[in-house]
Amino acid sequence: MSLHHDAQLVRMVNQIAANLKGGRDDAQAVADICRHLETFWARPMKQSLIAYSEREEAELAPLARRAIQRLSERQIVQKIQADKV
Amino acid sequence: MIEHYDPKQHSRNTEYAKDLGTPFPTQAVGAVSVSLEIDGVAITVPEGTSVLRAAALVDINIPKLCATDSLEPFGSCRLCAVQVAGKRGYPAACTTSVAEGMQVTTQNERLAKLRRNVMELYISDHPLDCLTCPANGDCELQDMAGSVGLREVRYGFEGENHLQATIDESNPYFSFDPSKCIVCSRCVRACEEVQGTFALTIDGRGFESKVSAGQADAFMDSDCVSCGACVQACPTATLMEKSVIDHGVPEHSVVTTCAYCGVGCSFEAQMKGDQLVRMVPYKGGDANHGHSCVKGRFAFGYATHPDRLTTPMIRETIDQPWREASWEEAIGFAASRLKAIQAEHGRESIGGITSSRCTNEETYLVQKLIRAAFGNNNTDTCARVCHSPTGYGLKTTLGESAGTQTFDSVMKADAIIVIGANPTDAHPVFGSLMRKRLRQGAKLIVADPRHIDLLKTPHLRDAQHLPLRPGTNVALINALGHVVVTEGLEDKAFVAKRCDTDAYQSWREFIADPRHSPEASEAITGVSAEAVRCAARTYATAGNGAIYYGLGVTEHSQGSTMVMGIANLAMATGNIGREGVGVNPLRGQNNVQGACDMGSFPHELPGYQHVADPVARGRFEAAWGVTLDDEPGLRIPNMFDAALEGSFKALYVQGEDIAQSDPNTQHVEAALRSLDCLIVQDIFLNETAKYAHVLLPGSSFLEKDGTFTNAERRINRVRKVMPPVAGKQDWEVTQDLANALGYPMNYAHPSEIMDEIAGLTPSFAGVSYAKLEEQGSLQWPCNAEYPLGMPTLHEVDFPIGLGRFAITEYVATEERANRRFPLLLTTGRILSQYNVGAQTRRTDNQRWHDEDVLELHPSDAELRGVRDGDWLGITSRAGQTVLRARLSERMQPGVVYTTFHHPGSGANVITTDNSDWATNCPEYKVTAVQVEKVSQPSAWQQRFDAFDQTQRGHLTGARETSGKAATP
Repeated sequence: MSLHHDAQLVRMVNQIAANLKGGRDDAQAVADICRHLETFWARPMKQSLIAYSEREEAELAPLARRAIQRLSERQIVQKIQADKV
Repeated sequence: MIEHYDPKQHSRNTEYAKDLGTPFPTQAVGAVSVSLEIDGVAITVPEGTSVLRAAALVDINIPKLCATDSLEPFGSCRLCAVQVAGKRGYPAACTTSVAEGMQVTTQNERLAKLRRNVMELYISDHPLDCLTCPANGDCELQDMAGSVGLREVRYGFEGENHLQATIDESNPYFSFDPSKCIVCSRCVRACEEVQGTFALTIDGRGFESKVSAGQADAFMDSDCVSCGACVQACPTATLMEKSVIDHGVPEHSVVTTCAYCGVGCSFEAQMKGDQLVRMVPYKGGDANHGHSCVKGRFAFGYATHPDRLTTPMIRETIDQPWREASWEEAIGFAASRLKAIQAEHGRESIGGITSSRCTNEETYLVQKLIRAAFGNNNTDTCARVCHSPTGYGLKTTLGESAGTQTFDSVMKADAIIVIGANPTDAHPVFGSLMRKRLRQGAKLIVADPRHIDLLKTPHLRDAQHLPLRPGTNVALINALGHVVVTEGLEDKAFVAKRCDTDAYQSWREFIADPRHSPEASEAITGVSAEAVRCAARTYATAGNGAIYYGLGVTEHSQGSTMVMGIANLAMATGNIGREGVGVNPLRGQNNVQGACDMGSFPHELPGYQHVADPVARGRFEAAWGVTLDDEPGLRIPNMFDAALEGSFKALYVQGEDIAQSDPNTQHVEAALRSLDCLIVQDIFLNETAKYAHVLLPGSSFLEKDGTFTNAERRINRVRKVMPPVAGKQDWEVTQDLANALGYPMNYAHPSEIMDEIAGLTPSFAGVSYAKLEEQGSLQWPCNAEYPLGMPTLHEVDFPIGLGRFAITEYVATEERANRRFPLLLTTGRILSQYNVGAQTRRTDNQRWHDEDVLELHPSDAELRGVRDGDWLGITSRAGQTVLRARLSERMQPGVVYTTFHHPGSGANVITTDNSDWATNCPEYKVTAVQVEKVSQPSAWQQRFDAFDQTQRGHLTGARETSGKAATP
């Protein structure tokens, strides 16, 4: 993954976090950000972002970081469920 | 191939084929019926109908000259004189309304004599060159002379006359020959009533009366916008299309849909064989009711321009010359490249872009090719860069990704807010309709950094301009919402009944916060608090409040937020769910709505069904016989990023010029250069095609069958009037590519594709070509519940049940003016050119706008020593380009403006890759720039010119090698 590409994804997720934090508590904001990524982002973009957040987190807004964490966990659960089926 | 019978090909709908003399009396809707007798024939019509119209409805055709059913009656020619039992004299049938029990006589000796005398006077000052006149066979004066039986002109032709008047040839599309004018004022009235420009007038009195453009200017030097309404209204050869002068009167016509903006006007393509002679807006068109603009009516010459691509071409690398190939070879070459790339780099390494200019059927097929044959969801469309935030914002709040009204709804609006849209330039026919309503007294509020022409509407009564700073839309809409809530202007009954209470309460609490007050946001938006309060009160209390918006709303880092803010405001004031109100996105391209509906977005199957929805996906999987990916694919900007990163290797682009239209051109160019295979399907060698390996010639809208869906969700038929220049309609090419990739497609006609769409898309379930023939057009949703479609959305409930207010926090864009880049650049369009200009630049519309210029306020110019016409270097953090300066008071100080119709202008070299947070729609409308006087083109422009020369050479070389002429 290139540095430029990661920086672009980080910028995008931070922007989503800034726009989805208004008028709701943090837990709700994290859920909404995560759902936005699930609904609109392509698989490789989500994977790159999760990989990035596991390496470093300095550039990520706190809510964005938590949302990526949640996204990662939900993907693991989904994978386990899919494997069971 | 099976030929499908198309009954509309050669016959016109008789109801609309005839001129009924006066318009349908709209004030009489719901009025009582009136029964009368005309020449002993009984007829019942609505009160307010003219005798002329009533007679025409029973096929009693009273002679007339100054009357036509697109204009209010005028009563000047006196040819339609009739007699009414019990009344004295000879009233004009056009200005006489029907009355109960009225007995009208339209023909007798006295009337015949009267009419002959009238005609005799007209003809005494009219050339008798009928046989060589361009209107021969299509002249109402000639018809009337025949009809009244004029046999001699007793006055002779020697007296004072107008026969030597000079012809005005200044307009490229029509001529004005005053010697043939009968001063019926139809042209003047069309300019006023239909177009709303008021460019024409009758100069002088009595015998001296003359039609005049402005102050006796030539048409091109006047305020005329060349819509052609006057030409269409003229009953003689005075105003005449030059194409008819050159080629003669057409012999057959086909009703089809314009391929320019999102208004989607219906036209009669009037033909001689397979040659298009003229386009005449179709009176039966539900979007345009017989009106058009300079693009739709006149700018069709591109379809037969020598630059049209006529043969497929291929090459190994983009520095090689093109080689002409057969369709089979080119498609085979493309398919083998795609397969090899997927084998090496994986299933997700390729994708495609559908076109908002192609038909619904073609768009559907491209996304099907990508999802089913490519096996991924890497499909996107040019709506990404224009109205994707509309899709997101309206779906989130109202539950449907579309405008809520018909165009006609504006005629019932009492207060109209126009935000970031310029309808008189970008949606001219709707702009004319809006102006008509404004002349009737509706209030106008314009939120725009520029003083747009709508604010200069003649006879405008009450207009408010909120000249906000670019990038501060959300702060403004929040301030408007704040006023509505804190001044008690809400429609509480509507909100209680139709909207989700919790979401509403959260929004109310949020918006009532003093930080959203107009006083607090004044410093952000630059709009005075009092102006904001006044606008909110007007919108909320005038009666029917309607909001119209354009790309000035969507193309921002908070485009989606702004769309939701607009929906919030409409819901809070109860301005949803009936005629005269609503949330109305004005769509840029002819089929943007359709491209979105047809599943072009990477996360949505046709009909806005998410790819992760197992039920919807299951239906598509069963119908298409493949397993579909359940995760969204890449959006256009994501594709570029992935290409530069090295994971995205091939792209199939149908009818979109991403190299010119997408922001940060140098980034796009680098991405395109990095591809191993770029397949471009277009009618011209566009900017994107210069980076392609496979060039597949496209077909113009005149060369194909299909449907377009306009901004009011109206599905209109597109009908083929001439054979495709390169032998294939675009859907056939996509089908061939699918078959070459091993995924079978076997459609014989676009109607079969529509049948498949109807079977898989709930909102299209009731749509078929047969029903479109029957109804003319259909506004989706069209299904079992609404078999004839739904003109106004959300009348009873929302598709999500209750409307959802959304929190719309203002988050300032990162793109800010600073010391280095002190000005804000915003971009837009003008009337005569369309989008990237590929079509209009190849017509005489060039006469109005042959280069993009930079508009700036005189005070910004003075500060930099810039004079009108100077070359200016415009620099942003993305790049630099050079344009000529135009000083303009339309701009506010600190804001500069340009258009992007010419590729060499490089407007998008300076726009950045900032984008909407939710949809990645680029932030075209805000770029911080510096401007300075320069003496030569920018480095990018010099590179562009060199590359352009080389690539054109590669094309010419291929054509010469094959020994074919460059003309089709």
